[in-house]
Amino acid sequence: MRSIRLEHIKKSYRGEVIIEDLSLTIPSGKFFALLGPSGSGKTTLLRLIAGFETVDTGKILLGGQDITYTPINERRINTVFQNYALFPHLNVFENVAYGLRVKKEVPAIIEQKVHKILKAVHLEKHIYKSINQLSGGQQQRVALARAIINEPAVLLLDEPLAALDFKLREKLLIELIDLQSTLNTTFVYVTHDQFEALTVADHMAIMNYDGQIEQIGTPKEIYEFPVSSFVAKFVGTTNILQGVFDDVEGRQTLSIEGLGAFEVQVPRTKQWARPGATLLMSLRPEKIMMRKATVEGFSNKVKGVVKAIVYHGRSTQYNVQISDHHTIQVFEQNEEHFPQEVVDYDDEVYLYWQKENVVMLER
Amino acid sequence: MKKNQYGLRSETPFFMSVPALLWQFLFLYVPLISIVALSFLRFSQGLVSFSLHHYQSLFKEMYWLIIARSMVLAFSTATICLLAAYPIVYWLIFRVREYKNIFLFFLIVPFWTSLLVQAYSWFFVLEKNGLVNTLLTKLGIVAEPLHLLDTPFAIHLVMVYCYLPFMILPLYNAMEKLDLRLIEASMDLGANQFQTFLRISLPLSLQGIKTGFFLVFVPSFGEFVIPALLGGGKRFYIGSLIEHFFLVSRDICAGAAFTCLCGAILLGLMVMVRWLFDKILR
Repeated sequence: MRSIRLEHIKKSYRGEVIIEDLSLTIPSGKFFALLGPSGSGKTTLLRLIAGFETVDTGKILLGGQDITYTPINERRINTVFQNYALFPHLNVFENVAYGLRVKKEVPAIIEQKVHKILKAVHLEKHIYKSINQLSGGQQQRVALARAIINEPAVLLLDEPLAALDFKLREKLLIELIDLQSTLNTTFVYVTHDQFEALTVADHMAIMNYDGQIEQIGTPKEIYEFPVSSFVAKFVGTTNILQGVFDDVEGRQTLSIEGLGAFEVQVPRTKQWARPGATLLMSLRPEKIMMRKATVEGFSNKVKGVVKAIVYHGRSTQYNVQISDHHTIQVFEQNEEHFPQEVVDYDDEVYLYWQKENVVMLER
Repeated sequence: MKKNQYGLRSETPFFMSVPALLWQFLFLYVPLISIVALSFLRFSQGLVSFSLHHYQSLFKEMYWLIIARSMVLAFSTATICLLAAYPIVYWLIFRVREYKNIFLFFLIVPFWTSLLVQAYSWFFVLEKNGLVNTLLTKLGIVAEPLHLLDTPFAIHLVMVYCYLPFMILPLYNAMEKLDLRLIEASMDLGANQFQTFLRISLPLSLQGIKTGFFLVFVPSFGEFVIPALLGGGKRFYIGSLIEHFFLVSRDICAGAAFTCLCGAILLGLMVMVRWLFDKILR
C-alpha cells in the first residue's frame, strides 16, 4: 500500500535532460536510500515524487494508484527538507501543528497529537520556543515531527542531516531507523553520503551522473558486490585495476601489465567474462593483508613500497606502490596497542588477498 | 577601546559625524523647533507674547473637516496602493521570476520624474479635451466629454499612481526574501494555495506591508500639489491649508499651530494604525 513505482520517468529542465527513462520500485514500509553524487538528479527524483515538479513523461504510482498529476497537497507524502524549511514566524508547536491546522482538525486533538509527537522526538521541553532559539539538531527534529504528524504513506528525506556534525548525525540516524520501524512508513532517504545510506537503508539505489540507476540492492549487496566500477568507487573505497582476463581449465586469472597474473573469481553466468577480454578488478582496501614477512595460504601476493601512511584512528591507511603505474590502498585495523610489525615510509611490504575477495567488473 | 561585533575597533573620530549632525541640526531641528515656538507666540501692536490663542482659534474654526478629509485621502490612498501593489509584487516574484528585475524597473521608472511633472501630465490626460476624453468620444463610448478633473476620482487616481512605488519597493523587498521552500513545505503539509497565502506568505511579508503603508500614508496626509492640481483647489486638504496660512493669509503663527496639530494627529494615527496591524495580522 505504501510502495512507490516510477515508470519510465523523464524530466528535463530548461532543455537539459536530468532524468531519462528511469524506472524504480520502492518497496512498501522499508527504509530506502537513494545514493548518488551531487548533480545526479536524486533531488529532482524526490521532488517529482513529492509533486514539486511534474514529469515530462512517465508515471508515478503510490500503492498502485497513479499520482503523476495529483497536486502536492493531496498526496499522502510528506517531506523533510534539506535545510528544514521551518516556518520562521511560528513556534515549535505551531510548526508541528501546521498539517493538522490546514486540515481543520479539532484543537483538542491537535494539542494532544502535537504533544505526543514532540515527546517522541525528544522536544517536549521546547514546545513553545521560537524556531531560531533551537539548535540545528533540534530544528531537524521539528522538521521531522512536522512531516510525520499527517501520518504520510511515504516520508521523503532530502539530505536531512547534511548540516549537522558527525556525532549528532550518527545519533539521529539511529533515531530515524527506530522511528521508521515504529511507524512502518516508507522512508525515502536521499543523500550523497555513503555512510548515511549504508547505515539507515534496508534497500538502496545508486544513481550515476547521468541520472540513471546503476544498482539496487541491500547495503551489503551493494558494498560487497558492486555491478560497476562507478558503484564500487562511489560506495566505500576501492582499488580498481585493469587487466586481460583468461580462463584456462577452471583457473581464472587477470593479467595486469607490469605486474603479472592474479587469480580471480567470476561466476560463469557472466557473459562478458570471456578469455581475452579486458576487465576491471575491484579490491577493497580492508580485504588486503599487508606484511613485511612472507605468509602462505593466499591466492594472490604482490610486493610493494609504502609511499604514504594516514592514521584514521581505528584503522591506518597505507598507500603502497606496486609498480610504476599502480598504487594500492590498504586499510589495516589498529587492533594492538603496540603492533609487532611496525611499517614505516619506504618499507618493502607484501600484499596478500584471496581471489574470493575480488570483484570483477566490466570495463 | 570598544570593539564591534567583528572584533574591530568601532570608535570613529567624532569629527567625521559633524557634517551630518550640522545638517540635521540646521535643516531639521532648527525649523522644527522654530515652528513649535512660533505656534505659541502672538504678535500684536508690535509686541510679542506667549499665547495659546492660535490653538484656541484653531478649535473654533471648521478645520476638523479638512483634517478628516486629509485623513480619509491618506488612508484610502495607502489602502488602494496596498491592494494594487500586493498582487503585482506577488505575481512578479512567484510567477515572473527570471525577468522580475526588468518588470520592476518599468514599475519604478515614473518615480524618477518629479511629482509635479507627474501630476501635470495627468492633468493633460484627464482634462476636458485630454487623452481619455478624446479617446472615449472618438470611440463613441460617450457622447459628451466626461468631467474627470476636479473630482475625488482624479485625486485618488493620481495619488495612487504617484505613491505606488513607495508601496511596491518595500513589499518587493520583503517578499523577495520569502523562501520558496516555505511555500513548498506548506503545500507539502496539505495546505492549498489560499491557505498557504494566508498562513505563510502574508504573515512573512507583513513587515513590508507595514513599511509600505506608512511610506504612502505619511506623505499622502500632507499632500497638497495633487489635490490642488487635479481637485481644482476647491476642496482644502491640510497641505493646502498650511500653504494658505503661510503664503496667502500670511498668518505664520496660526500656520505653525496648525502644522503642529497635524503633526501630533499624524503621530497618533501612526501609533493607532501600527497597533491595528499588530492586532489584526499578528
